[in-house]
Amino acid sequence: MNFELRIMRLFLLAVFCLLPFCLSAQIRVGSGTISGDFSFNGMYYIPDSLIGAREVDSKVRGNAWLNLNYTNGGFSTGARYEFYLFPLIDFQDIGYQGQGITYFFADYKTNFIQVTGGYFYEQFGQGLTLRAYEDRNLGIDNSLLGGRVRVTPWKGIQLKGVWGIQRYNFNFDYTKRNDNVRGLDAELALADMIPKLSDNGVTLTVGASFVSRFEKAEDKMFNIYIDTLQYHDFYNNNSIFEFTPTDRPNVIRVQGVIPSENIPQNVGSWATRLNFGIKGFRLEGEYASKINDPNLSNDYIYKRGEALMMSASYSMKGLGVSTSFLRADNMDFRSQRDAVPAYAALMLNYIPAINRQYSYQLLGNYGYASQPNGQIGAQAQVNYQIPRRTKIGGRYGTDITVNYSRFHDIQKTFVPLSDTIGTITGTEGYTSKFFAFGKNLLYQDVGFDISRRLNRQWKLMLMYNYINYNMTLQGKPGMINGNHVGFELTYKINDIHALRLENQYLIIPKENNLDDKDKGSWMFMLLEYSISPNWFITVSDQWHFGNEKKLHYPNGAVAYVFGTTRLALNFGKTREGILCIGGVCRAVPASFGLGLSVTTTF
Amino acid sequence: MKKVFLFLLVMSILAFSFAQEKAKATLPSVEVRTLDGKTFNTKDIQNNGKPILVSLWATWCKPCVAELMAINDVYDEWQEETGVVLYAISIDDTRTAAKVAPFVNGRGWDYKVLQDINGDLKRAMNVIDVPFLCLLNGNGEIVWSHTSYAPGSEKKVFELVKKVAKGEEIKN
Repeated sequence: MNFELRIMRLFLLAVFCLLPFCLSAQIRVGSGTISGDFSFNGMYYIPDSLIGAREVDSKVRGNAWLNLNYTNGGFSTGARYEFYLFPLIDFQDIGYQGQGITYFFADYKTNFIQVTGGYFYEQFGQGLTLRAYEDRNLGIDNSLLGGRVRVTPWKGIQLKGVWGIQRYNFNFDYTKRNDNVRGLDAELALADMIPKLSDNGVTLTVGASFVSRFEKAEDKMFNIYIDTLQYHDFYNNNSIFEFTPTDRPNVIRVQGVIPSENIPQNVGSWATRLNFGIKGFRLEGEYASKINDPNLSNDYIYKRGEALMMSASYSMKGLGVSTSFLRADNMDFRSQRDAVPAYAALMLNYIPAINRQYSYQLLGNYGYASQPNGQIGAQAQVNYQIPRRTKIGGRYGTDITVNYSRFHDIQKTFVPLSDTIGTITGTEGYTSKFFAFGKNLLYQDVGFDISRRLNRQWKLMLMYNYINYNMTLQGKPGMINGNHVGFELTYKINDIHALRLENQYLIIPKENNLDDKDKGSWMFMLLEYSISPNWFITVSDQWHFGNEKKLHYPNGAVAYVFGTTRLALNFGKTREGILCIGGVCRAVPASFGLGLSVTTTF
Repeated sequence: MKKVFLFLLVMSILAFSFAQEKAKATLPSVEVRTLDGKTFNTKDIQNNGKPILVSLWATWCKPCVAELMAINDVYDEWQEETGVVLYAISIDDTRTAAKVAPFVNGRGWDYKVLQDINGDLKRAMNVIDVPFLCLLNGNGEIVWSHTSYAPGSEKKVFELVKKVAKGEEIKN
């Protein structure tokens, strides 16, 4: 028996050892409690050249973790063990491979102070300067190892200070690290302090944060290819760099060394924020700025970065309107300047994509990805409920959502050769007008959905969207201009048995200059049979019918849930995206095979 | 390699041996946000001795929304009969956090809504996937919890709420 199989078998054994005590819910030790969770997602991979599911070196793969927490009054401590030695292939692709104790902490908390040592997660304001977070389904864990203090000296005032070294996948040798992060954050809830505000129903919170990243500078070997049409006169011609023509048109090779004294070791980033509300109206905003931070993602330019995120909303019972605006320019901020931009590892801040987040398969495949180094856009959404027990609204009411969003790159004017910033040898790269949209549309989406319970048994949802998705977001040519139509029908046979049918089409005209994998229209169909509250049986197919290959991505799954434990088996082909099966949603890899998932909370 | 599994096994056996009695766990003390941006500690969740439901959900999670819609259709009856209150705690992060209030109000939900924007409560409660629903008795002790949603399971939830309202013990 090979090594992997043996490991998998041991893991399964561990799972079954854990199950009985999961059933006993939370466990009391002394006057404290132990709680935790366990998760295993495994897969047996079958190569399939048709859909591009590649042959993998170990066919049996899996991700697993075990969290244990102990809490006693204001004191808590915990640890997590992660096993990703033979991870699912999409995790391996992002370098998420290894095993060990990846998280441990001790925390003490009173009404006045909270002190945390070990690993911790933290977010300042909306996260434009600092967001240490995790999303294990996506292989993101940007926790900090160090210490944190939160103080509430007065009602309505909160101060936070953090120091730490950021987790980098499974590289645990922190003594070799030349980088660390320090941050301060203050938040004042003014409405708590000024009675006149709260008496008038006003809430007002202001905050500010400062984050500084240190990374020891070393002479930086520089060897990149640049497009002279886009980046003409981009680099300062100070004899540091050598420019050589290549055999590709308009592409030159830039080589040289940036001496360490020209590289800022400390990069500071700050932000101010506001959160104002009166009755149903709410205004939230955060503006952040980052000083010169030459790094791999911005081609080592010295330009200041900035980001603004604003949202305004109004809501009353039955109606909600929200609008958001986002601009981000050169705001990719990481613990290490040479971190690979394509991966989320070592990301210090969080510049979100603010378009509507769809949980439908075909739209999920072409969901907008945030561009921290250059995006400007807006989103508007209206949620309205036609009241229940009216002629149009029906007995249970009818919910309508209308949505619009549009994102562009930012306008850039590349600076001439001689420009340098102060005494630092380097280039600003470009200048950009704050509110100007760049000429390239990255994403647009306009649509609506209507959801209505027809009677005790039937529920129907109809939707329509028109999307434009620039394939450069996936590093490919072309633009998807698609019409998305679909419905979801739920039939509750009785209080135990129910059927749910989803059917969606993404109609993409043929003339688009698209990659073969994306060319042509798609259909998705899903049928789920549930036996409340334990069983979920799902079959689905994604069919690329508009493409010459007419590929199918069929899938079947059975899930069994008892309490907070869920066991699921699935077999089939999947594209990358968000898939909801058996009542929960998670990100799934592009693959073909047999999968097993065990999750439990205890 | 073997050490790893030994560790796992020892951890589970340890935890197993600690399982002398069922703990009456309460909600952890974690700071979340109210819809109007104020800080709120989850240990302050209470309902004058009546049952409390706590749902962890997200605007982008279909089964979560389906569950909350289904409960909303009968919520006034539940409240009349048992006095139960539902806290719908959204785990939407900054990406969709500002849309939670319009989303909730647009659907006319009467729940108490809180926001766990950086997943602190989700982590403290060891929740892996949403929806995650738990039931607290009048003393704030978690007496039942469940993950995922299948249409119709709200009926069972109501049976449990009624039992808790009467002060009866329930099995998870």
